[in-house]
Amino acid sequence: MIHSILIANRGEIALRVIRACRSLGLRSVALHTDLDRSAPHVLAADDSVHVGSYLDIEAVVAAAVASGADAIHPGYGFLSERSAFASAVEAAGITLVGPSAEVMDKMGRKDAAREIAIAAGVPVVPRGDDAGFPVLVKAAAGGGGKGMRIVRSAEEYDEAVAAAQREAASAFGDDTMLVEKYVEHGRHIEVQVMADAHGNVVHLFERDCSTQRRHQKVLEEAPAPTITDETRTLVTGSAVALARHVGYRNAGTVEFLLDTDTGEAYFLEMNTRLQVEHPVTELVTGIDLVEVQLKVAAGEPLPFTQDDVTVTGHAIEARVYAEDSFGGFLPQAGTTSIVRWPERARVDHALESGQVVSTAYDPMLGKVIVHGPDREAARRALVAALDDTAILGLTTNAGFLRALAASDEFRDATIDTAWLDHATVPAPSPDLARVFVAWVQAMLVAVVDAGHPFQNDGWRGAADPAPTVVELDETVLVDRHRGRVGDHAVRQLSAESHLAVLEIDGRREQAVVNVQPHIAEVVHRGQRFVFDRPDVFGDHAVDAGDGVILAPMPGTVLDVRVEKGQAVSEGDVLGVMEAMKMELALKAPFDGTVEQVGPTAGEQVALGALLFEVVQG
Amino acid sequence: MTATSEETATQARPGLRDMVDDLRARLAAVRNDGAGGTESARRKHTDRGKLLVRERVDRLLDPGSPFLEFSALAATGMYGKPGEENAVPSAGIVTGLGRVSGRTCVVIANDATVKGGTYYPITVKKHLRAQEIARANKLPVISLVDSGGAFLPLQDEVFPDRDHFGRIFYNQATMSGEGIAQIAAVMGSCTAGGAYVPAMSDETVIVKEQGTIFLGGPPLVKAATGEVVTAEELGGGDVHARTSGVVDHLANDDAHALAIVRSIVDTLPPGGAAAGTTRLQPAGEVEEPHEAPESLYDVVPADTRTPYDVREVIRRVGDGSRFHEFKKLYGETLVCGFAKIWGHPVGILANNGILFSESALKGAHFIELCNQRGVPLVFLQNITGFMVGREYENGGIAKDGAKLVTAVACSVVPKFTVVIGGSFGAGNYGMCGRAYDPRFLWMWPNARISVMGGEQAASVLATVRRDGIEARGESWSAEDEEAFKDPIRAQYEHQGSPYYSTARLWDDGVIDPADTRRVLGMGLAAAAEAPVPAPSYGIFRM
Repeated sequence: MIHSILIANRGEIALRVIRACRSLGLRSVALHTDLDRSAPHVLAADDSVHVGSYLDIEAVVAAAVASGADAIHPGYGFLSERSAFASAVEAAGITLVGPSAEVMDKMGRKDAAREIAIAAGVPVVPRGDDAGFPVLVKAAAGGGGKGMRIVRSAEEYDEAVAAAQREAASAFGDDTMLVEKYVEHGRHIEVQVMADAHGNVVHLFERDCSTQRRHQKVLEEAPAPTITDETRTLVTGSAVALARHVGYRNAGTVEFLLDTDTGEAYFLEMNTRLQVEHPVTELVTGIDLVEVQLKVAAGEPLPFTQDDVTVTGHAIEARVYAEDSFGGFLPQAGTTSIVRWPERARVDHALESGQVVSTAYDPMLGKVIVHGPDREAARRALVAALDDTAILGLTTNAGFLRALAASDEFRDATIDTAWLDHATVPAPSPDLARVFVAWVQAMLVAVVDAGHPFQNDGWRGAADPAPTVVELDETVLVDRHRGRVGDHAVRQLSAESHLAVLEIDGRREQAVVNVQPHIAEVVHRGQRFVFDRPDVFGDHAVDAGDGVILAPMPGTVLDVRVEKGQAVSEGDVLGVMEAMKMELALKAPFDGTVEQVGPTAGEQVALGALLFEVVQG
Repeated sequence: MTATSEETATQARPGLRDMVDDLRARLAAVRNDGAGGTESARRKHTDRGKLLVRERVDRLLDPGSPFLEFSALAATGMYGKPGEENAVPSAGIVTGLGRVSGRTCVVIANDATVKGGTYYPITVKKHLRAQEIARANKLPVISLVDSGGAFLPLQDEVFPDRDHFGRIFYNQATMSGEGIAQIAAVMGSCTAGGAYVPAMSDETVIVKEQGTIFLGGPPLVKAATGEVVTAEELGGGDVHARTSGVVDHLANDDAHALAIVRSIVDTLPPGGAAAGTTRLQPAGEVEEPHEAPESLYDVVPADTRTPYDVREVIRRVGDGSRFHEFKKLYGETLVCGFAKIWGHPVGILANNGILFSESALKGAHFIELCNQRGVPLVFLQNITGFMVGREYENGGIAKDGAKLVTAVACSVVPKFTVVIGGSFGAGNYGMCGRAYDPRFLWMWPNARISVMGGEQAASVLATVRRDGIEARGESWSAEDEEAFKDPIRAQYEHQGSPYYSTARLWDDGVIDPADTRRVLGMGLAAAAEAPVPAPSYGIFRM
C-alpha cells in the first residue's frame, strides 16, 4: 500500500501529481531548492523538504525517507530516466512510480533499445550499410540533439562523425556512435503504453508531436492527424509488444519516426516516464494517467483492458515557454505582473501573477490543452484559448503559439519535424496593440481625474473636444468623442480589470492592457507588446546634445583613444585629459561614429577647444 | 407651464442655437485646424518640421486637459475682415488656462503663421491680459515663443507707453519675484524685445536649429558693425545652451521641447500656485533606484584623483534613478538637477571637476530655482576648488564664486551636504560646508577635508621658504626641501581624514556610502514639516 508520495520535481508536473494524490487521498510531499521556497508546487503540497538540487539523488532519497514517503513520483526531466536513481530508490525500500532500474537502463541506451525492438519484431530505422545517404550520425547515449549530425555524402562523413564524437564525449562521457538512415520529412508519432505488475500491457493510442523546434516540442496532438489505420495498428501493436518484451511496468512512451514520403514508421526510442504531453491522451481517452500510475505503483492491476480504451474527438496541447520567439527565441526571465490563463481550456501550469521566473530551470511555464469533436474544432478552440492567454511582465511564446495554431500549415497538418527550423512564422504587427494601449490610456486620464471643472475630457469652448494626445513609440491621437484612434474607428465594448474589449474597424478584439507610469504593456492574441511611455521627469538633455565634445577645462590631453570614422557606443571613452591634477574621461554621449578628432596626445588645449565630434547613428 | 410660454421657448431656442452655430463657425475659422495663418504660411511653417500653434498647446497640455482659451476672437475685424490678407486671427497669439503636469497654468503661445508672430497693439494687450490673470491667481506662465517682435509699422502703438511691449518683461520680473514661475520655450524667432521673454524667464528651453534669440538679427548686425554672421551662429540653440547660458535646455524638436517644459512644470509646487515660499513641496510616492546602493562601491574609485561621472552616484541615490538635469551643457563641472529621494523633491548639486565661473553662475541660478520652488538642496561634495590662473582671476572668478556662496548662504530651504570625496578650500564654501549651515553634513570614509591638498600645501610653504633662503644668498638642497615637506604632507594626511573630522564634530557622522539614500531620506523627512521663510539674498556682486 502507498500512503505518501514524494514528488521529485517542480513546476506544473509537480502540481499535476499533487492533484492526482489529492483525488486518491494520498499525502503529497514536495521538494524545494533555495530558489523555489515559495513556488506554487511547494505551497500546494501537504509537506515540503529542502534539497540543494533536484538532481541530487542522495538528497532526494533521503528526503523521501525523512518525510516518511513510501513512493516517489519523478515527473519528467530531472531524475526521471536515471537508472541510478531508480536503483537508489529501490535500495531504500521505496517504490518508484515507473519501471524498474533494469528496464530503465536497457531502454535508456539507444543501441540496446534498438536490439530489443528488433527482437520484439518492431520496425527500426535501417542502419549502417543498409541506410544509404543521407544518414544521421548520433550518440548512442545521446538525446536533445547533442552529438548528432546529418551527413548527405560520403565526403562529409569522417569529419561529421569526429565532430559528433567530440560533442558526445563531453556531453555524455561516451562517444559510441550510431549511423542510420536519415528521414528528410518525418513526423514524430509516439504511443502511450501502460503496464501493471500482473502482466497486463495496454496502449492508449498515439500522439503526434511533429511541430518542434530544434527537438523541442511546441504543439502536440492526439490522435495523429495523418496516419493510416494500418500504420496506427502497426505502431500501437509494436509498442505493446516492446513493452511486454522488456517486462515494462507503469507509464511509458514508444516513439516512432514516420517517413511522410514513404509512409513507413520506424522505432526511435522509448521514454520510460510520463511525458509532458500526456494530457492530450487523457483528453481523448478520458483516462487519468497519473492516477493510473499511482495505482499501478501500489501493485493494483490496470483498471481497464485494451478493449475499454477508445479515442473520442481530438486534443491539442501548446507549450508556453518563457522565450522571445520573434526575437531569436531568446530565453526570458522576469517577474510576472498579470497572468491570465484561458478558462475554456485545460491548463496545467505553475505560473501566477507576481511570480519570479528565472533562467535556472526549464523555461516551460505551462501547457494549454484543448479538446474538440474533431481536429479543426480543437484547433479553433486552441486559437481561442491562446487569445485568452495573457502573461504580462515577461515575454512568452504565447503569441507565437497562437500564430502557429492559426497558420495554414498547422491547419493542413503539413508541418514536419524540421519545418520550424527553416520556416519563419511572421511576427504579429504592433498596430492593434498600440490602438489598445492608446485607447486605454486616454480612457484612464479621463476617468481617473474627473469630477472637477479641469477634468481631462478635452473640453474646448464652443467646439468639439480635442483629441487626447498619447505618446508611445509614436504619437497617437485618440478622439474618444468621435471614436477614433489614429486612422482606426474604435468603439469600446467593455473595459475592466485590465481586460479591454474594443470594436476596431468593425471587428471585435480583446486585449489585456497594463498601463504603468513609465511603460505600457499589452497582450493581444497571446503576444506581449511593450511601449515605453516618455518619462516626463527623465533626463531629456541626453539625446539633445550635438555630439560635440569641448574641453571642459584648459589642460593637457593625456590620451586619444579613437580615430576619425570609428564607431563608438554611448559611454565609450574617447580620450582623457588632465588639468589641476584631475583626470577627466571624455565619453561618447550616444552611439555613433567619430566625425572629428581635434587634439593629439600630449597637446595643451584651451577651455572650450573642440576635442571630439560624434555623429549619431 | 402655459401654452404661451412653451411657444416662446420653442421659438427662442432655434434662434439661440443659430447664434451658437455662428459662434462655432467663427471660432473654427480662426482655429483653422491648428493655426490662424493663410494656407501658404501654414505650409511654410510645417515644412520646417514645426508644429502649428494649437498643436503645440495641445501637446503641451496634459493628455485630455481642457483648455479655457482667452479671447479667441481678438482682433476680429480690426485690421481686416476674417479671411482677408490683413486680418490678424486671434491677434496672432493663443492664450488660455490648461493643465500641465497636473498644475493649472497660463499658456501664451505666438502664432508664427500670422504676420510672423509679430505684436500688433491688440497682441500686446492680449499678452498683458493673460499675464494679469496669471498674477491675480498666482499661476505659472508658460510662453511658447515664435515671434519676430513688435509689428514695426505700428511701433508708436506698441512700444512706448505703460501698457505696451515693455510691460511684458516688467510683469515677468515682478511675477517671478512673487514666486510665480515663468517658463519659456523658444520654438522659432525671438528677436529684439522678444528676446527678453526667454531671457527674463526662470527656466528656458530652445529647439536646436530652429529657435533663435538675439537682440539684433544678422541684418541689423551687418548694418551696425559690418559683421556677417548667420542666425544660428548669432543666437542659435547650441550657442545659448552651451556658450552663453541664456537658455537651460536644448531640445531636438517641438515635441521634445514641450516634453521638457512639462518636466520643468513637474518640479513646481503642486497645484500650480506659488506655495514654495511658505512650505516645502510634499513628498510623493517612493521608488527605489534602478541600481543597488552597494554598487556605489564599484563605481566610485577609492583614489579621489581618479575621474568618474558623479551622475553614477546620483543614479544610486535618486528615486527611480531619474534626474532632471538643469543646464546640462553649460558649466559642466557642476552637475545640477531635480530628483526625488524617498519621494521628497530635491535639487542636487554635485561636483564633476573644478569650479569655473560658468559652473558657479549655474549653481547660483539653480539654488534660486530651488528656493523659489520650495525644494530642499542636496550637495554631493567632491571639490578641489575653483579654477586658478590669470585668465580666470582677471575674468572675475572670485565674484562669480561669491554669487554661488551668497546663494548657498542665503538659501531658506533645508540644505544637506554629503562629502563624497575631496573638500578643499573655497570649494567647501560653494558646496555648503559646515559653515553654511546645512541641516546635516555627512562624510564618506574616502572623504578628505583641508584648506588645500597636502602636496599643494607642502609646495606652497616650500616655495616661501626657498624664496627666503635664496634672498639671503644661501642655497637649499633638494634633500633638505623634501625633509621640510614630509612633515607637512604627514600633517595634512592626518588632519584631512574623515575620522579627524568626525572626532571634532565637523560633521554629523561618517556614513557607509550605500546608506546615503537612506540617511538623506531621514534628514529630508525630519526637515519636511518646518515652515520655510521667503527667500531674500544679499547683493549678488555682478
